[in-house]
Amino acid sequence: MSHARPIRIIRPISFSPFDILRGLRELWQYRDLFHTLTVHRIKVRYKQSVLGLAWAILQPLSLMLIYTVIFSVIAKVPSEGVPYSVFAYAALLPWTFFSSSLTNATQGLVSHSQLVTKVYFAREILPLTYVSAALFDFAVATTFLIALFFYYGVHLSVYALYAIPIMILLTALATMFSLFLSAVQVWFRDIGVAMPLLLQLWMFATPVVYPLSAVPQRFRGWYVLNPLVGVIENFRRVVLQGVEPDYQSLAVSAIVAAILLPLTYLYFKRVEATMADVI
Amino acid sequence: MIDLQLNKVSKKYRIRREVDGEQSLVRKLLSIRKRREDFWALKDVSFEVERAEALGIIGHNGAGKSTILKLLSRITTPTGGEIMINGRLSALIEVGSGFHPELTGRENVYLNGSILGMRRREINQKLDSIVEFAELRQFIDTPVKRYSSGMYVRLGFSIAAHLDPDVLLLDEVLAVGDASFQRKCIERITELKKNGTTIVFISHDLRAVQQLCDRVILLKKGQIEADGDPAETIGLYQSLSGQLGGPAAGGWGREPTGEAVVTSLTFYDEHENECLEFETGKPLKAVLNYRVDQPLTDVIFEVQFYSQEGRLCSFFSSETLGGTIDVEPGEGSISFDCSSVGLGPSVYFIDTGIRHRHAPYGVDIDWRRRCLAVRIDYDRHLRDTFYMPYICHHSPPPSFVFSVPIVAKNKDDRA
Repeated sequence: MSHARPIRIIRPISFSPFDILRGLRELWQYRDLFHTLTVHRIKVRYKQSVLGLAWAILQPLSLMLIYTVIFSVIAKVPSEGVPYSVFAYAALLPWTFFSSSLTNATQGLVSHSQLVTKVYFAREILPLTYVSAALFDFAVATTFLIALFFYYGVHLSVYALYAIPIMILLTALATMFSLFLSAVQVWFRDIGVAMPLLLQLWMFATPVVYPLSAVPQRFRGWYVLNPLVGVIENFRRVVLQGVEPDYQSLAVSAIVAAILLPLTYLYFKRVEATMADVI
Repeated sequence: MIDLQLNKVSKKYRIRREVDGEQSLVRKLLSIRKRREDFWALKDVSFEVERAEALGIIGHNGAGKSTILKLLSRITTPTGGEIMINGRLSALIEVGSGFHPELTGRENVYLNGSILGMRRREINQKLDSIVEFAELRQFIDTPVKRYSSGMYVRLGFSIAAHLDPDVLLLDEVLAVGDASFQRKCIERITELKKNGTTIVFISHDLRAVQQLCDRVILLKKGQIEADGDPAETIGLYQSLSGQLGGPAAGGWGREPTGEAVVTSLTFYDEHENECLEFETGKPLKAVLNYRVDQPLTDVIFEVQFYSQEGRLCSFFSSETLGGTIDVEPGEGSISFDCSSVGLGPSVYFIDTGIRHRHAPYGVDIDWRRRCLAVRIDYDRHLRDTFYMPYICHHSPPPSFVFSVPIVAKNKDDRA
């Protein structure tokens, strides 16, 4: 045979930080599967649905309408000088990305148990392609934000470019939680059941429907420990207010991601080895 | 050149035992650790496979066959030992498990192909050939949910058959699809083998194993029981299966009533020799000797053939004589003459006995459960599960070589 024959040695599980590199190299080998599965997720979602892609916008949009009625018309929550609907949508956009990533990715391994027990491939692809598919929806839904900006005459500043690193950070956090939750779900199905409730609570613990400034100063120290705070608040801040991000809260999110993402990946790779025995 | 090497490979599973009876949640939680039991699916298994060799692995359910397959294909990890694989390994396990019903055949080729480890470019190149092999050209852009199960299987196998692996793992996959497609699959595998692909074939289908493999390993309780020539290993497996549920396991269905007993059951081949090994399509005779102590009315004598899984496959019954059989005290015999055995190759366990015709099943005068094991062997005329006796006649086209008799017949007509 013409091609090189790779030699593979399979040994019992051992724990080493090099597993991260090994895992990433293997993930790279499966990049085509990653791509195909992402496209597949997007396609399947919109196949045989009348509204198709519009659903990507309709989801955050309907939430925006609900929250606008509750928190602006009824409860008069401050919105930092911009119309509440734009204010809410600008945060719902990244939040919807995060929450739909997690909701789908948590089931990612369990719902593919047929595959997991039959074929080997880098397992992280299953939850992670849900994250990338959600990222696609995010991109689609962004177009509506731009439309809102035109409608309300909001101008983008240079600081809006910060949205890019912020989104990278948010993707890293979504990746981290997706890997962890999908793996735990294999052993404890409670996770999947608890997810909707958990995400609901999480959203209210994150400045989505209210600004960070509305949180009393004395709670703020604890409040920003939620890694989503820095990301969501600053996303809205840079695109809507056109000012510099709040580096302090952003740094908390970045540190959490930098430490926990590699550890989560190691954990995932460790449990991957025996996943098929219990799934 | 060694392509595959297992060195003292072990795999332990933890089995969770269900706690029986009613227990409080607290007690269940407390006993969560205790309820786990270790089970060694494989223990210190070592073997090597040479390049272009076809190795078959056989054994009973739970002997560790599929664990080996799962370890080699990296679905799970060994608890101990080391596995070396030289080259690209592909497993052909339950084709089509990665299909998505909403997507078209073409989309599924890309999806399934990449799950099995093919690069996109590779799939682009092979797409035509895959579709051709699966005989699905007109349906390739139809969602697979509209496919028949045959089409499903064909597409699945076709993708897997185009993987071009260095080492190919095969499961029971050949058991699916129609006969002509199965033949095509075997041809394809033989072709791969000829081109230097190393093959590991794990199956219950002893015929297919014998047909395909150069060497066979017999697993028993997670360890290698035998390793060598296919015919010998398969023979050993069959005789082991025979012993397993054979005379030792025989006994009474229930306490005999004492009215009569089956004194012996003997099988004979076509030359009237006592025998327990037969061939499909060849004659077989079973003779049942009995002794009756009290007069019996309306009884039936039976010999039943059970598969290894305990399924009743066939039986001989004196009911076919018609009328009622009344027996006076004394000794007698009844024989069943079978002109050609219809059962496929395997080991069958025998039940025999005397019962009242109208007695509920299981209430018997004398019943011997699994008292013998009969082995049915390969026959060149049998390719599938059953044999149907037949005689073949050929009427060739009239204008050809055999035209003479027809001319003669015409002459007769004129005369």
